Amino acid sequence: MTALDAVAAYQPAARLTVEDVAETLGLTEMEVKLFRRFHGLGAVCVDPSISLTDLLLGAAAALEPLRGQEHRVRYVLWARAFPTVAPHPLNPLAEVCRLLGLEHALAFAVTQQSCASSLLAIDLAGRLLAADAAAGTADPDAAEPLALVLTGEKAFTRDAQLLPGMSLFSEGSSACLVSATGARDRLLAYACSQRGEFDTAGGVSAEEFQRQYRPLLAEVIHQALAEAGLTLADLRLILPHNVNLVTWQRMCRLLGFPVDKVLLDNIAGNGHVFCADAFLNYQTACQRGMLQTGDRYLVASVGAGHGATFAAMVFEH
Amino acid sequence: MALPETGVDPEVRQRVVQATTDTLAVLLERDEPVTEGMRLMDELMVSSLLGLELLLRLEEQLDIQIDVELMDQDQIHTVGDLATFVAGHHRPA
Repeated sequence: MTALDAVAAYQPAARLTVEDVAETLGLTEMEVKLFRRFHGLGAVCVDPSISLTDLLLGAAAALEPLRGQEHRVRYVLWARAFPTVAPHPLNPLAEVCRLLGLEHALAFAVTQQSCASSLLAIDLAGRLLAADAAAGTADPDAAEPLALVLTGEKAFTRDAQLLPGMSLFSEGSSACLVSATGARDRLLAYACSQRGEFDTAGGVSAEEFQRQYRPLLAEVIHQALAEAGLTLADLRLILPHNVNLVTWQRMCRLLGFPVDKVLLDNIAGNGHVFCADAFLNYQTACQRGMLQTGDRYLVASVGAGHGATFAAMVFEH
Repeated sequence: MALPETGVDPEVRQRVVQATTDTLAVLLERDEPVTEGMRLMDELMVSSLLGLELLLRLEEQLDIQIDVELMDQDQIHTVGDLATFVAGHHRPA
């Protein structure tokens, strides 16, 4: 069963308030007020002094269990919201692999599900490792192979900084060591719904997307729980994507789930960190002792852009 | 359909109705009046974002803080439904 053997997350200290970014992003006074009052977004991390490579290395450096285990890493997956993040011939992933001593690993990016790509990457990493084990290609005398799943992006254009009327993006990164049979955070279920009709370029209206956003997210949450043989009552915690506060308050009304069991504290000061929200929130939950051994928790994410993806994973800690 | 709220002060509700209809007319740039029975989404085409802007303007005008986290959008269809909710779910700013 796919498992997270270790998780680390990183955010540079630099913060800009909503008011700081308003002029650059062309936000009206009313939009600024809306972000603060209802979306609960007060500040974002934008640090032009930190390169994309350094951002990724920040999370990898905090992933202590990777030290000395580099030879076991067979795959490196970089989950991203944006397909293109650096001009040719720059290749941040190759550079990160070189600096981490992971040049032997098969490294590639997963971007097709926008901000939900990180959940896909976790699932994919586990399935690749499991397929290798099933095919008998792994050395039986060697330690169990691992995959490293990275997230991390720079808010480098207006599109990468603002989701109009919904959210503000923020810089940060995460690194997860994934195994096919680990025991630490075991993946019990993964549900994913890809909805091409919500493509921002040629799809239905943004308003229709807004209207269906919460019901469709609720659908995959229930689907993942059913697959895990659980109900909402079995969950200790939901680790959300940090899109905004009001969306999750309303999600909780729709689900009938207590809002105080959704970790929303990182929204105000950290913003929506592309694919990394779940892992930043996981780190916060662990630091605060909110997850005990055996606790079940759910991770939820929505990717919007070239179509929309609604995704949920259930884990046992 | 009005929400089955109990304990909503009719005078407070009427003030909210007035503020809501006036504000919506401005936001939607409508020459015709907005009335209590009009449907927010289907008839007035109020988007989610515009709905939040409406709530923010109501908070400012009426000097209140609305309990948005308690709002069940599926039960709020008309201008009157919204006014009933606001009248029953707010606190002084």
